[in-house]
Amino acid sequence: MSTAFFRTLILYFLIMAGLRLTGKRQIGELEPGELVLTMMISDLAAVPMQDFGIPLLAGVIPILTLLALSLLLSQLALRSLRFRELLCGTPTVLIRNGKLQQEAMRKNRFTIDEVLEELRSQGYSGIDAVKYAVLENSGQLSFLPWTAEQPPTAKQLGLSLEDETALPTVLINDGRVLRKNLRRCGRDEAWLKKTLKEQGFHRPEEVFLLTFAPESGVFCLRKEDAT
Amino acid sequence: MKRCLGLLPPLLILAVLLLFCLWTGRRVGTDTERWRAPLIQSSEAALLGDWDAAGDLLAASYDDWRSRQFFLHVTVQHEVVEDAEAMYRRARAFLDGQETEEYRAELADLIHQLLALAEQEALSWENVL
Repeated sequence: MSTAFFRTLILYFLIMAGLRLTGKRQIGELEPGELVLTMMISDLAAVPMQDFGIPLLAGVIPILTLLALSLLLSQLALRSLRFRELLCGTPTVLIRNGKLQQEAMRKNRFTIDEVLEELRSQGYSGIDAVKYAVLENSGQLSFLPWTAEQPPTAKQLGLSLEDETALPTVLINDGRVLRKNLRRCGRDEAWLKKTLKEQGFHRPEEVFLLTFAPESGVFCLRKEDAT
Repeated sequence: MKRCLGLLPPLLILAVLLLFCLWTGRRVGTDTERWRAPLIQSSEAALLGDWDAAGDLLAASYDDWRSRQFFLHVTVQHEVVEDAEAMYRRARAFLDGQETEEYRAELADLIHQLLALAEQEALSWENVL
């Protein structure tokens, strides 16, 4: 049983490290090659995890081979458009200028029912509401609605608004001060202490979340169990 | 050249993995050859009735085999290793009883098992396909 324990630990961290290298996609957005890789790795890991008669290397070597191969192919895809097309395919336009591209649908074996289902799930009442629909390499359908079907933007209304879009930086996460982020914002511990006092806190440990952005300032959340 | 730099790490990893696998296969091959030779001689000695020589040769092969157990368990399926271990022990038992036919038959099985172990780890079209 201890064998199972340690093998599981080793394989788990090996897979985590490997998948971390393959990038930040979620399962639903994986390219076909990445999906195959994930499925194969999980199968390969399960075998030596459960069968102690198989050496651990019998799982580790195929997993490392797959990860290295995946890295190699993604590097080649970066360098060659043709190779990228071969490996990942190309997005296909299924609706162009509001018109359904039936030939493209047939080629991709995409039925009208699937298009309608996707439209509804993304909040569109029908095909006439979208100008373009693109079948992405991941299999997801992206819709670009007609301008008249979209809520107006400030720019379209001719409003001149001050840009308040901010990207807050987390400075305290669950009571822990993120000093690297503090330095990145050009702030220091003295500023943080002063800010905490202004927000009514005595110590960073009382804070669940503290973010800062030059445009929007400080945002603070108290920990629920903090006194 | 700079554009190819990104290709180097995965290529290196693949090369290292391949070299390791080839080295393992070669190592198992040379080890099993070294274990088989005294077993063949032991079988001939038993046929001639020289049980002392047969015993020494079997012991030499077995001691060498035992010294490689860690490597074998890390690289080869345990079932194959354990089967060979069982065959060594049975051969020892037949040797102690000086049962010529049973001893030679067991050694023949053991030699074949070691050969199969080497073939299993070797790079060949039969194994790949």
